[in-house]
Amino acid sequence: MKAKKFKAVPLAILALIIVLIAASCSKSASQDPGKGTPSSSPSGTQSATASADDKTPITLTMFGADPNPNWENMESPVGKKITEITGVKLQMEYAIGDQKQKISLMAASGEYPDLIFAHGNENILVDAGAYLDLTDLIEKYGPNIKKLYGDYLSRLRWNGQDKSIYYLGSFGVNDKQWKPATGFELQHAVVKDLGYPKLKTLQDFENAIKTYKDKHPTIDGQPTIGLSLLADDWRYKITVTNPAVFSTGGPDDGEWWVDPETHKAKFHYTRPEEKEYFKWLNHMNAVGLLDKESFVQKYDQYNAKISSGRVIALADANWEYVDAERALRQAGKDDRMYGMYPITLREDIKYADFQSAGYSAGWGVGISKTAKDPVRAIKFLDWLASDEAQILNYWGIEGVHYKIENGKRVIPPEEMAKRVSDPEYGKKTGIGVFTYPFPQQGIGVLDPSGQTYTTDSLEQIKANYTAAEKDVLSHYGVEMWKDLYPPTESFPVKPWGAAWQINIPQNTDAAVIAQKCEDIVKKKVPQMILAKPGEFDRIWDEFMADLDKAGVHKMEDEFSKLLADKIKLWNE
Amino acid sequence: MSGAAAGARRRRQGLAFYGFLYLFMILVSAITLYPFLNILAISLNDATDSMRGGIYLWPRVFTLQNYSAIFRFSNLLTAFQNSVLRTVIGTVLGVFAAAMIAFTVSRKDFVARRFVSVVLALTLYFSGGLVPVYMLLRDLHLLNSFWVYIFPGLVNAWNVFVLRSYMDGLPFVLQESAKLDGASDWRIFISVILPLCKPVLATIALFIAVGQWNAWFDTFLYNSGKPGLTTLQYELMKILQNTASQGGQTVRDQREMVGRISPESIRMAITFVAAVPIILVYPFLQKYFVKGLTLGAVKS
Amino acid sequence: MGTEKRKPFLEVLIRQRYLFLMSFPFLAWLFVFSYVPIWGWTMAFQSFRPGKAFGEQKWVGFDNFIALFADERFYMVLRNTLGMSLLALLVGYTVPIIFALILNEVRHQLFKRSIQTITYLPHFVSWVIVAGLVSKMLSIEGIINEILMSLHIVNEPVQFMQKERWFWGIVTASDMWKETGWNSIIFLAAIIGIDPELHEAATVDGAGRFRRMWHITLPGIRPTIMVMLILSIGWLTSIGFEKQFLLGNPIVNDYAEVLDLYVLNYGIKVGRYSYGTAIGIFNSLVSIILLVISNAIFKRTTKESVI
Repeated sequence: MKAKKFKAVPLAILALIIVLIAASCSKSASQDPGKGTPSSSPSGTQSATASADDKTPITLTMFGADPNPNWENMESPVGKKITEITGVKLQMEYAIGDQKQKISLMAASGEYPDLIFAHGNENILVDAGAYLDLTDLIEKYGPNIKKLYGDYLSRLRWNGQDKSIYYLGSFGVNDKQWKPATGFELQHAVVKDLGYPKLKTLQDFENAIKTYKDKHPTIDGQPTIGLSLLADDWRYKITVTNPAVFSTGGPDDGEWWVDPETHKAKFHYTRPEEKEYFKWLNHMNAVGLLDKESFVQKYDQYNAKISSGRVIALADANWEYVDAERALRQAGKDDRMYGMYPITLREDIKYADFQSAGYSAGWGVGISKTAKDPVRAIKFLDWLASDEAQILNYWGIEGVHYKIENGKRVIPPEEMAKRVSDPEYGKKTGIGVFTYPFPQQGIGVLDPSGQTYTTDSLEQIKANYTAAEKDVLSHYGVEMWKDLYPPTESFPVKPWGAAWQINIPQNTDAAVIAQKCEDIVKKKVPQMILAKPGEFDRIWDEFMADLDKAGVHKMEDEFSKLLADKIKLWNE
Repeated sequence: MSGAAAGARRRRQGLAFYGFLYLFMILVSAITLYPFLNILAISLNDATDSMRGGIYLWPRVFTLQNYSAIFRFSNLLTAFQNSVLRTVIGTVLGVFAAAMIAFTVSRKDFVARRFVSVVLALTLYFSGGLVPVYMLLRDLHLLNSFWVYIFPGLVNAWNVFVLRSYMDGLPFVLQESAKLDGASDWRIFISVILPLCKPVLATIALFIAVGQWNAWFDTFLYNSGKPGLTTLQYELMKILQNTASQGGQTVRDQREMVGRISPESIRMAITFVAAVPIILVYPFLQKYFVKGLTLGAVKS
Repeated sequence: MGTEKRKPFLEVLIRQRYLFLMSFPFLAWLFVFSYVPIWGWTMAFQSFRPGKAFGEQKWVGFDNFIALFADERFYMVLRNTLGMSLLALLVGYTVPIIFALILNEVRHQLFKRSIQTITYLPHFVSWVIVAGLVSKMLSIEGIINEILMSLHIVNEPVQFMQKERWFWGIVTASDMWKETGWNSIIFLAAIIGIDPELHEAATVDGAGRFRRMWHITLPGIRPTIMVMLILSIGWLTSIGFEKQFLLGNPIVNDYAEVLDLYVLNYGIKVGRYSYGTAIGIFNSLVSIILLVISNAIFKRTTKESVI
């Protein structure tokens, strides 16, 4: 009995294996569009001379370093439409986890897909000679690309030594900013309760938190939390250290502060003004207004606290707490949502959230040197940059996702409701799937008919405000949150773009120093904030000494060179 | 002391011992089971609502949406198929290979015993690194191929040593008597050693199966260009996209990641979908864990 | 073995042909998949840039090793790595054995199987999720503090996650929760292999439960215990970084950062693949030395060994 049973198991397994192999073989044979489709190779030789509307079916392989959760295998209405118009079917391969590893392997092996989006790791591929220089291809086949980037096309060049264009920048060109990205946040209930106090300086901010917390020691039966910060992994930069730059008037240049006169870069912590900010955080902790768990909580815990409605103040970027706010809204706690205020250290400092960085290429999609048909590839990218494609990608298909009324594109209310509430909307329709990281028009840019390419509009943002929000805004005498901030026009355009987009070259001393400095910041900043106020100065001095020892000035010099090279390249 | 009194005392002690034992085991399983039930409850709760926290054993706003969000991905069936295939093939071949080598190194009379052991043991402690392995697999034409899931890890030294330690415990007399009956080493392996090793073979099979089932990194590194070869864990990792918890990310990357980090509820649902099929394997393997074919049975 | 050696090699080869046939093809296999890629170690002596051919790489001699041994941080992460692995060896290794011994005493088969299945479940929960659960439990308003407060053991909630000294313990305890059931499987299998006649004989001799455990079960699984111990000692320096990274925070980082995270931060992340490889070589050498030493010690004291 036993022996028989023992034999039956392997036999059953063997049978299963055979069935599964048979199934997967037949499947992979039919499911291999990547290579050998008869149409792809002839078109490769022909298309150099073929007309612009070559629509022979072709599959282009593409690597995306940044996964797109809405990727729909080009099976959505918009995806199908794109294949119908261009003949191109994209076969995507996304990196998950460590993109740099995968890209290094690609570079080491010399095998590339047709299109590559390396998302900040372009230098590895440029080193390996993986990209085609797109300059001539754009000249020949890229009228729409030229139009979309305009004068910024020259900003796509790699650097001072190598002026090739290796990829098409993926950020919206000429983006208009309609919403503040960062700021200091207070619950609507707080400002309302305190009679809409003046909120300009950290002192005002602190007073508001203190007064409200003393008055309402609990919210919904749980202890009120003053200001909560988050230091989970890289997020410490968003809520702990970035506000030090912003509240002292610096624009968002990542870990850098660039002197507007000399264009010399500084590791921003070394500015004396920032000592004041961290001292204030230290004081906030000492008087019990800072969340005790600021440096240990995980993102989920932070979100849970915020969505319970008892965190009255934040110093965060909007995108980081927006999900928690959605939960508050769903629970009907509108007055526990947050207003954004441009708080600064002193009243004479301007909060620079709206300062323009001009256009920075950053990163984007390039064509590999092993691409089977570079001409079709550039034509595809060029088509994606066209008005037709931009409108299709932002608005969808006419008559289905939007309609034309009096010559204007209008999204019917029921479709709009789906757009806002259905998290799967992008995946189902394909809208928005082919914008980033491909070339895209910025928010607020107008098409030839005078309408925006993107669906965002000021009216739509306002329509989305809650009653509590509108109430607060009206008491501060403005219509939108952005109106509280110093406007874009009051700042010069930064000639270096966004400093955080400049990569320190890999495998250099400066790159190692940067890592060391990051570790010092991570260690010292929480230490100085949680220290007894009497010890703050000593720890700050240690902090500066440690940075010095790690070679921060050498790194700053290297970075300033990169910055100078970029400014020179852009102004040629 | 009378025998009967001692027996009664022993029984009382036994009862107390079992009472304590069962209570302890129930406590231990409660501690291990609770988080799992918590995960299930969160996965069945509305994603936005879950953010507020405070969900323990029962969902607050029941929904199946987190699961349907996962199952909407079209190639999940192919992925599942490949995962099953690699698990089954990898396990069968892996167990067989490990058992064969283990048998040879458990034989004290085998002249190359030490050599084989050393060659095996060293592989546990060094690796050439990602790039050379990748180039090797490229040269062997194993990239974009199903067999990259099976071949590189076919011989696992750890499994061999575990098996050997078990075989070492078997009396050598059994082999010698089989040899006197004229059986070859191969015969001895098949008909004497393998049946005796069932519990440990089942254990190794479980280890290999779980390893194969949970593997996604090889799909990512070697086969991500070919959708027909994807695996379930890889697809789930794609949905999970917990890029946030990977060390190498910088702040600026997050500027485009707005709203792209999967909510807790989806993460929990993925945990469940990923784990349940393989968890079901264990109870089936457990039947090899009972004292069935034992030494006594063979001897007689 | 002594007699075998004196015989002509060919004769032995023929007589043990099956043994050779059953092992050497696999050695060839290992040679291809494990030994050939070792050429990658040359990278440690270069300043490797991906995408450049082997001939184009710059050779730097022992610079990477010198830089490694000169870095203070390296010693800090090495201390943390060894500290946590020793704890893992102490707890994560003995607890599953004890658990297997106790579970083996459960006579009710269905109950036993259920316990086995339930306790192995946490192995399938990823560290991301485990770390989330642990942080929640140990937070100021977490369940642990609630219990401690209600029992009046503490008056103020304890900030568990902010205590540098407790971090190793928290990691070890979480690991124990996650892996005890899983790690005990192997010992349970080994226990089953013990000849039941031994138990019967001991029972007849009047040996009690604990004496049987001590004198029969434990010695019966000793080969497995020893082999696992020797193999684990070799892995003292390579414990991965996932759990430490996910459970850690900036405050306890001086006790949380381990070697594998250091490799990631100071090797791969800054493009120093060569540096990462140098650490890999260091790791391998330490492992092999530990393996050889522990193997020799156990061979002499317990007669059990791996090689």
